[in-house]
Amino acid sequence: MNAERDYQMIRKLERAHFFSTREQEMILKLYEEEREILTAKSNTTSASKLREEAWQRIADQINTVSDSGYKRTWQQVKIKHKNIVQTAKRRRVEVMRSQGGSATPSLHSAEEDVLLHKDNRLRVEVLAGGSCIDPLMGSDSSFISVSGHPMLLLPVTKTEPESLSGDETDMSDAHFEGDLNSSSFQEMSNSAAGGRGAETQTEDIRALYCCYLRKEMENRDQLMAYRALKMRKLEKEILILDKQLDCDSVMADIRRGCSYFFLYDGSKVKGEGDPTRDGICFFYPEETPVDKQELLCGQLAGVCRCVSELSSSPVRVLRLHRNKYAVRMKDDFLWALGCSVEVPTISVCELLDQLINLFCFYNGCVRQSYQLHSRETLAARWAQYLSYLQPGSSELHHVFSCLRTIDSTNVDPLLLLKAALILQGCQRCPLVLAGCILFRGRVVSTQMSPELTVKVMVHESETYTRRPSRPSSSTSSAAVGSTPVFLTASELHYLQSAPVNKDVRSHSTPQRDAHPGKTRLSRTLSEIASTESDSSDPGPSQSPDKVSLNLSRSESDNSANPLDPLPQSPEPSFSNGQHCPEAEEETFEESYYQSFHSSRDGDVQEHDEDNSLLSGGGEERRRGDAACGTEFDLRALESESCGDELLEGERGVGCGSAQGHAAEQRNPPPPEESPLIPMTLYLHRVKGLVLALLVDPHFLNDKASTEEVYHSSLASLNGLEAHLRSITPGAPCAPGPYIFAHFDCIQSTLTTNLSGRPGGAPEHPFVRATSLLHSHFCNTKTLQEAIIRSAGAAVYGTRSVAQETYFQQHGGSLRNSGIPNHQDSAFSLPSKARHRLLKHGVNLL
Amino acid sequence: MTTKTSLLKVILLGDGGVGKSSIMNRYVTNKFDAHLFHTIGVEFLNKDLEVDGHQVTLQIWDTAGQERFRSLRTPFYRGSDCCLLTFSVDDNQSFLNLGNWKKEFIYYADVKEPEKFPFVILGNKLDVTERQVSIEEVQQWCQENGNYPYYETSAKDATNVAVAFEEAVRRVLAMDERTDHLIPTDTVKLHRKPRSAGTCCS
Repeated sequence: MNAERDYQMIRKLERAHFFSTREQEMILKLYEEEREILTAKSNTTSASKLREEAWQRIADQINTVSDSGYKRTWQQVKIKHKNIVQTAKRRRVEVMRSQGGSATPSLHSAEEDVLLHKDNRLRVEVLAGGSCIDPLMGSDSSFISVSGHPMLLLPVTKTEPESLSGDETDMSDAHFEGDLNSSSFQEMSNSAAGGRGAETQTEDIRALYCCYLRKEMENRDQLMAYRALKMRKLEKEILILDKQLDCDSVMADIRRGCSYFFLYDGSKVKGEGDPTRDGICFFYPEETPVDKQELLCGQLAGVCRCVSELSSSPVRVLRLHRNKYAVRMKDDFLWALGCSVEVPTISVCELLDQLINLFCFYNGCVRQSYQLHSRETLAARWAQYLSYLQPGSSELHHVFSCLRTIDSTNVDPLLLLKAALILQGCQRCPLVLAGCILFRGRVVSTQMSPELTVKVMVHESETYTRRPSRPSSSTSSAAVGSTPVFLTASELHYLQSAPVNKDVRSHSTPQRDAHPGKTRLSRTLSEIASTESDSSDPGPSQSPDKVSLNLSRSESDNSANPLDPLPQSPEPSFSNGQHCPEAEEETFEESYYQSFHSSRDGDVQEHDEDNSLLSGGGEERRRGDAACGTEFDLRALESESCGDELLEGERGVGCGSAQGHAAEQRNPPPPEESPLIPMTLYLHRVKGLVLALLVDPHFLNDKASTEEVYHSSLASLNGLEAHLRSITPGAPCAPGPYIFAHFDCIQSTLTTNLSGRPGGAPEHPFVRATSLLHSHFCNTKTLQEAIIRSAGAAVYGTRSVAQETYFQQHGGSLRNSGIPNHQDSAFSLPSKARHRLLKHGVNLL
Repeated sequence: MTTKTSLLKVILLGDGGVGKSSIMNRYVTNKFDAHLFHTIGVEFLNKDLEVDGHQVTLQIWDTAGQERFRSLRTPFYRGSDCCLLTFSVDDNQSFLNLGNWKKEFIYYADVKEPEKFPFVILGNKLDVTERQVSIEEVQQWCQENGNYPYYETSAKDATNVAVAFEEAVRRVLAMDERTDHLIPTDTVKLHRKPRSAGTCCS
C-alpha cells in the first residue's frame, strides 16, 4: 500500500504541470473538432462566450479521460494549446535550418527496405500482385517489390524515390530526432523515478518532453500530408493500371506481338535531298501516316547506323521508353521490329529473325526479290508473314514462339507413327529431302527442324485458308501443288546430315527396312521403334545409289542456275560430289562462275550509280578518303573480312564467288550468312491434312518420281485424314488445381493445360510470369530454377538444356510473408510440380 | 443407260500380312511393292469403274490386320457396302480366322441382316508355290457360311484382282436392286428415283 501511494506521489509531483501525451493529443483533436467556433473571426461577446464554452467542453472531455489524475480548467487547456502551437512553429523553423545532408531515411516499411536493397541480385523474384507485373518488367534491375495488401500494391518504378524525396526526407528527419528525444527522455525519466528528482532535471525533462511533443506533432502533420499524397499517387497509379489493362484486353493480340515493323533500304536514301520515304520498303501498321513512318524510320536508321559504326558491331536491340526494337542490319537494309517493353527481348529478337528468315525462305535474297518484284507485291508478303507470326491462339505460344502441334494426348501414338512412316516412305524417292505432315494448321509429324517447319507451315496455312476443303473423291492434280523456296546452306546441311537410310532408297531391301531407327527424324518413331523394330540389315547397294543421288542433284543445280541470274551459289558439297564425273563438275563450275560474274558486275554498277553523287567510283569508295565515304568504307572493309571468312569456310568454291557472297551479304546476322539454295516445296492436300515435302527443284520435272511419291502416300494420307478427323477434340481437361506449361526446346513444342483462348482471367498472371521467367532463363544461362511470386500466386519455373517447365498451383492460401521462410508454400512448388506433371508426361525428376 | 455415279465403300479385312494393301494398290494403281510396311489403322483409295452399265466410284478401305490395331480400324467398318474377307493361301491360320473377321465386321459395322450382307472371299498369294489351303476347303466354307463368291488372287501377278472387285460391285448392286424392289411394296415413295424416271422417258 505504502509503496503504491509513494509511487503515486512521485507521479503527481513530477507531472504536476504536465499534460500527458494523451491529453495533448486530446487537446489537438478536440481543438480540431471545435475549430470552427474557436477560430471564428468575431469579437462579439456571444462569440467569445461560445469560445469559452468550447474550451470548457474540451477541458471537460480531457478531464473525463485524463490519465494524469488532474483536473484542468479550460484556461489551462487553452494556454496549453497555444503553447503547443507556438513551440511547434518554433521547432519547425529550427528543423528547417538544421536540415542537411545527414538525414538518413530510416523508414521501416517493407517497401523502403526493399528499395535500399535495390542493387542486390536476387534469385527469387517476388512480384507484387499478378496484374502489377508490367511496370516491374519495365525496370532494369530485377529487384523486388513487396507490399502488404495486394490491392494497394504499388509498382515500384524507378521514378518513385525522386518524386517523393521531399516528403521522405522531411519526415524521416523528424522521425529520427523524435526517436532520439524520446529515448533520452526515457532515460531521464527513469533516473528521475530512481529518486534523485532534482529541480534542474525536472526542468530539463520538461523542456525535453516539450521538444519531443513538438516533434511528434510535426511528425504527425507531415505523416498525414505524406499519406494524403501517397493516396493521390495510388489513385493515379490505379488509373494507369486500369488503362493498361483495358489496352491489354482490347488490343491484346495486336499490341502484345508487334507494334511496329519496318524494312528500310538505306541504299535508296543516300543524298541530302532523298526523301526518307523512298527507303521505306514496308511499314507496319500500314495505315500509319507517312510522316510518322519517315520519322521513325529515319531516326531509328540513323541511330542504328551511328551506333553500329561507333561500336563496329551491328545493333541488335534498341530500347526506347515504351517500346523496344529488335534490329537487324544487312547490306543497306535495316529491319526493325518494335514491341512494347513488356515483351521479353528474346522473343522480340526471335520474332524478327523468324520474319526475315521466312521472307528469305519464300522469296530468296532480299535485294534480289526487291529487284524482281514490286514493292507492293512484297509488302503484301511481309504483311502476310507478319500476320502469321503474330500471336493468334495463345500468348504462351508467342512467349516461346513454338510450333503448333496437334494435341498428342488426344491422338493415338500409332497415328503419329503412321505419319512418320508416310514421310519416310516419301523419302524413298531420292529427290525428296524431308517433309512434314500438318493437320488443320498443326504439326502431326515433321522431319525438319522446328524453324524450317514453321516456315513451311506459313504456306500451308495460306493455301488452307484460301482453298476450301475438297471432297476426297476429287482426284490427284488439284490437291497437289508446289512453290519455290530457298534454303540456307546450314538448313540443307541439317537435312542431309539426317541419317536417312540409303538402303531404303535403293528399293531392294528386305521387307521391314522402311523402318530404320532414325530417332532424329521423327519424334514419334523413336518411342515405338524400340518396341517393334526389327533391325534392318544393310544392303550392299550403297555406293551406286549415292552416285545417282549426287548426279541428279548437280544436274538440277545446273538447270536451276539459268533461272537465277543472281548470285546464289549452291552448297559446294553438291557440286563437289566425289562421285560426279570430273568433266561435268568443271563445266558446271565454269558456267556458274560466269553467270555469277556477269550478275555481280551488274550489281556493283548499280551500287556505283547509287553512289555516284557521293563518291566518285568504286575504288574511291573503297579507299574512303571522302568524308561522306567513311560510312561506306567501314562496310567495305567489313565485307572484305567477311569474304575471307567465307573463303576459308567453303571449300572448293572459286574465289570470285566467295567475294560475291561478301558483296551480297555484308554483315548479316548468322542465319543469313550462307547463300540460299533454291528448292521446291511440294504440297499434297487431303482435306485438312497436308503432306509438305522439301524436294529438289528437279523433282517436278521427273514424272516417275512425282507419281511414285503421290501414289505411295495417297492411301495412307487418306486413311490418316480419316483417323484424325474422327478424333473428337477431347473435352479440354477440366481446369485443374494447377496450370503448367512445358516447353521442349529441341522440338520447339509446348505442352500446357492452359485453354487456348487468350486472356483468361486466372491465366493472365501465369502467362506474364512465364514470359518473365523465360526471358530470365534466356538471359542467364546458369539459372535453373526460379520462383516468381506475388501476394496471391507463385509460379515455379525450372529448366534444363532441353526443356523449360512452368508450374502454378491454384487454391490454398499461400503462406506468404514476404520474407523467405521455410514454411512458405511457394517452396513446396518444386515437389508438387514433379508429382503432378508426371501424368502429363513431364519428367522433372 | 444411267449416268448416276454412286460411291460404294468396300472394306478389306483379314489377318496381317495376307496382302490386303497389295491387293488394293494393285487394283487402283496397278503397282506392286514388296516392301510395304504394316498398315496402321486404315487407308483408302478411290477408283472409278463401270460395271454392267453402272458408273460407280469404289472406295476401297484397307485395314490393319494386326490385333493391336483393332481399336484403330473398327470405327471405320460402319457404312460399308461390301466386305472382302482376305486370307493367304500359304497360311492356313489366316484362313481359319476368316470366321472371326466376319464376326468382328458384323459386330462393328452394325449390319442389320448379316445373312444377306455381301461378303466376298479372297485367297491371295496364288503365286506362292507352297499352298496350305486347298480350294475345296475354302469353297466348302463359303457354302456353309452363306454361299459367298470365292476368288483366288495374286496381287503380285495381278491375277483375278480386278475380277474380284467387279464381283463385289455386282453383289452390292444386286443388293440395291433387291432393296429397291422391296421398298415400294410397303411404302409410298415421295421422291421418285431419277434412274427410274430416266428409263421411263427413254
